[in-house]
Amino acid sequence: MSPKDGFGFSRRDFLKTAGAGSLATAVTAAGVAEAHAQAGVRALGPGDVPVTLTVNGRRIDLRIEPRVTLLDAIRNRADLTGNKRVCDRGACGACTMIVDGRTVYSCSTLAIEVQGKQIRTVDGLASANGTLHPVQQAFCDVDGLMCGFCTPGFVVSTIALLEKHPNPTPEQARKGLDGNICRCGTFVRVMEAAMAAATSSAGGVRRG
Amino acid sequence: MAKYSWPEKPTLLGTPVKRLDGPDKVTGRARYTHDINRPGMIYGKIVRSPYPHAKVVSIDLSAAEKAPGVKATLAYMKPGDEVHYQGDPVAAVAADTEERARDAARLVRVRYDALPQVSSEAQAMAADGPKWSTTQPNTRAGQRAETGDLEAGFRQAGHIVEQTYSTHVITHVCLETHGAVCEWDGDKLTAWVSTQGVHQCAQGFAQALGIPQTNVRVITQYMGGGFGSKFAPDSQGIICAKLAKAAKAPVKLMLDRKEEHLDTGNRPSAFAKIRAGVSSGGKLTAFDGQSWGTGGAGAGSGFPLPYLYQFPNRRRVHTDVYINAGQQRAMRAPGHPQGCFLTEILMDELADRVKMDPVEFRIKNAPPLAPNAQWIKYFQEGAKRFGWDKRHATGDPTPGPIKTGMGVSAHLWGGAGRGSQAHVDLMSDGSVVVKCGTQDIGTGTRTLVAIVAAETFGLPVSAVKPEIGDTIYPFSGGSGGSTTAASVTPAIRTTSVNALDQLFAKVAPTLGVTPDQLAAEGGRVFVRGNNSKGLSWKDACKLIGTEPISVDGKWEDGLSSSGTSGVQFAEAEVDIETGVVRVKRILAMQDCGLIVDKLTAESQAYGGVIAAINFALFEDRILDRVTGQMVNPNMEWYLLAGMSDVPKIDIVLNNMPERGVIGIGEPPTVSTASAIANAVRNATGATIRSLPLHPHKVLAALEQERAGGTN
Ligand code: FES
Ligand code: FES
Repeated sequence: MSPKDGFGFSRRDFLKTAGAGSLATAVTAAGVAEAHAQAGVRALGPGDVPVTLTVNGRRIDLRIEPRVTLLDAIRNRADLTGNKRVCDRGACGACTMIVDGRTVYSCSTLAIEVQGKQIRTVDGLASANGTLHPVQQAFCDVDGLMCGFCTPGFVVSTIALLEKHPNPTPEQARKGLDGNICRCGTFVRVMEAAMAAATSSAGGVRRG
Repeated sequence: MAKYSWPEKPTLLGTPVKRLDGPDKVTGRARYTHDINRPGMIYGKIVRSPYPHAKVVSIDLSAAEKAPGVKATLAYMKPGDEVHYQGDPVAAVAADTEERARDAARLVRVRYDALPQVSSEAQAMAADGPKWSTTQPNTRAGQRAETGDLEAGFRQAGHIVEQTYSTHVITHVCLETHGAVCEWDGDKLTAWVSTQGVHQCAQGFAQALGIPQTNVRVITQYMGGGFGSKFAPDSQGIICAKLAKAAKAPVKLMLDRKEEHLDTGNRPSAFAKIRAGVSSGGKLTAFDGQSWGTGGAGAGSGFPLPYLYQFPNRRRVHTDVYINAGQQRAMRAPGHPQGCFLTEILMDELADRVKMDPVEFRIKNAPPLAPNAQWIKYFQEGAKRFGWDKRHATGDPTPGPIKTGMGVSAHLWGGAGRGSQAHVDLMSDGSVVVKCGTQDIGTGTRTLVAIVAAETFGLPVSAVKPEIGDTIYPFSGGSGGSTTAASVTPAIRTTSVNALDQLFAKVAPTLGVTPDQLAAEGGRVFVRGNNSKGLSWKDACKLIGTEPISVDGKWEDGLSSSGTSGVQFAEAEVDIETGVVRVKRILAMQDCGLIVDKLTAESQAYGGVIAAINFALFEDRILDRVTGQMVNPNMEWYLLAGMSDVPKIDIVLNNMPERGVIGIGEPPTVSTASAIANAVRNATGATIRSLPLHPHKVLAALEQERAGGTN
């Protein structure tokens, strides 16, 4: 997993000081250690293995190679295509999902690592009757999107931010959203959307 | 009076209307090409040259053919062909999963004879340097223009500045990479393509594949950014179609981030050695510029120079320089950010020579005020809004390492409309469908289509169903050059007006009036001047009968025009110990004729400004001098602004309804970088004549300044 929040600094700060190479190493090592601890040291693959994911409260049974990322598993095998693949290496945030309450870059997370965890993607945020999550509504209201390709990642990051800081200071909001890149340049209005969503839900963002 | 005009008192035009497809995008329901999954679909992967310059000796596909899951392979080049850049496509494979397609691509054995490569403009221009191609020269004469009497101009000059300025190569970094999903049904091709031009793409497929254009359908409901780089099927589209044919299965082929950097276009570099003169009274007298730049392997690098300001006597001679790197493509206001930067930094240097304020100096030398030339007004108004009077002279006197300064720059753009067709259906149940084969590249085109039809029929936007992004709809041009709004909205207006006339003809007898006495507003069709005598829209449409009103129409002159102006102000902070530049504020003064949707128009302006902050401070395509390979073909070392890097941005849009619709996608990105560079100059007293304003360059300029400057 690639935590990008919760250490009190953003991924960009981390990159500035540590360099991406060391980040990648740290993440992989942690992931491997975790997988080993859970499974005992047992080799899986190289062929397809059964993987069960819980995505937006729904169980998904897959047969995939162990190397398949969470993002690709969900997009290519479960046809849940809301979250996007943009850089495919933890640099842009378009693939951001929430796994057991923490944001991860799903392009840099193996599907097999997150079995048994609660995975939330952009596809599952609106209610069944189609009512938008307050954050989604805020993005639409202030035009916090253009081509919309970064938008799923921003929406998920904003929700994670507001679940952690229901009334964020602008500084907290900026830091919380620093792991996402938008090429169309929606930042000003994404920020407005985040602050508006915080106000509209009066500090109580509905948990998707 | 022209047959068509915009309403004098619009209810929707110029107001903030929410993007119609917002809900689809924020929920992830919007399906981009990247998201199209077809039954039985397999994945394509391209094998690319790791060498910037080489001859292909042999291509061996046998191991790849036997790899697990592989359904098709193809050689795109043949032995003896020359590759001209890292990433040049050589072969391709398709397999049942993406992972296996990548594995198989690695098994394709290509032998190359590496050739000497050219990886910089200087290398290309060196007398005995390496050659980018075995058949073509390294340079070619480009634009050339001369006006007035250059020598006389320099004789009139009280001061002369002579310097070299430059801008760097950047790539488009569309978040949705280029690519397609291709599916054949016999000899008919359906292609979902991430493109800025569905009709152009269909033409490209037909030509390359040797099939009639009527056999090709291209669909682009949503696309994740193009910025000028996505008009043709390109090699990846054609390869995708060929793999699908060979494998007898739908193929998805989306490029990865590295391929995207290497092979889908870039903004060319620009250099100019300039000698310019100014009279002691502050009037520009002469400009002599020798410019060059590279658009990569065999592509041009032209840009306007001098930019915008009036040099009565001027000469410009350009040379296109070729290097072994991916070819350039149009990128958001092609040429203008370069020409603007080279000229605007010079302008501040000239202003300093005559001890004039940069705003005052620009007003003195800008073209006179006209509808398409609002600069003088924007300089004056903008200076007031921005607090320009608080600007200190060059060099922030504040003690400490953080220096603050202000800068200004101006720009222009065309943005004219052109042929676009449309179709409107009015149904007897009152529903309205508007069809146009344009595409929404994130600018809000889908919403504009609905706004114009709704305005014409006097309906809410939600009552109109816009259908776009598909070649089954009437022809519309590619979304480039900021021409889409000015092309599409007139077509929708004329077609809707004609459809409404037909409805009036059906309704008039019932109301006992002639059709020309009718109006449609507020969801009603009624007799003008007698509001109560009328029918609701629904009841009016009941009179249509079983055969819907079905009207074809096209773009007509008079509803759009060309020529926008803009001025931007920047405040920047420079840490003179680290060389780090932070932008604090930007003010953008901009017009785009008649504003159709205030909300999305403003978003375009915000986006343009932020793109230019990236150009100024962060992004840079870096080629390794020794290997000629791109050092940062990713998104962690190819730097782009994040939320914390974005300053306070104020957008002031000047609505000019009398001019008709003009595009706004490109102009706001032109002058931001120059304004920032001039703010850095004002803050530090050091002039950085080359982009990007990376810390090492800022420090070097400060060093040079301390050593006595460059003048
Ligand atoms: S796609 Fe995962 S961070 Fe960019
Ligand atoms: S809206 Fe296009 S990348 Fe963010």
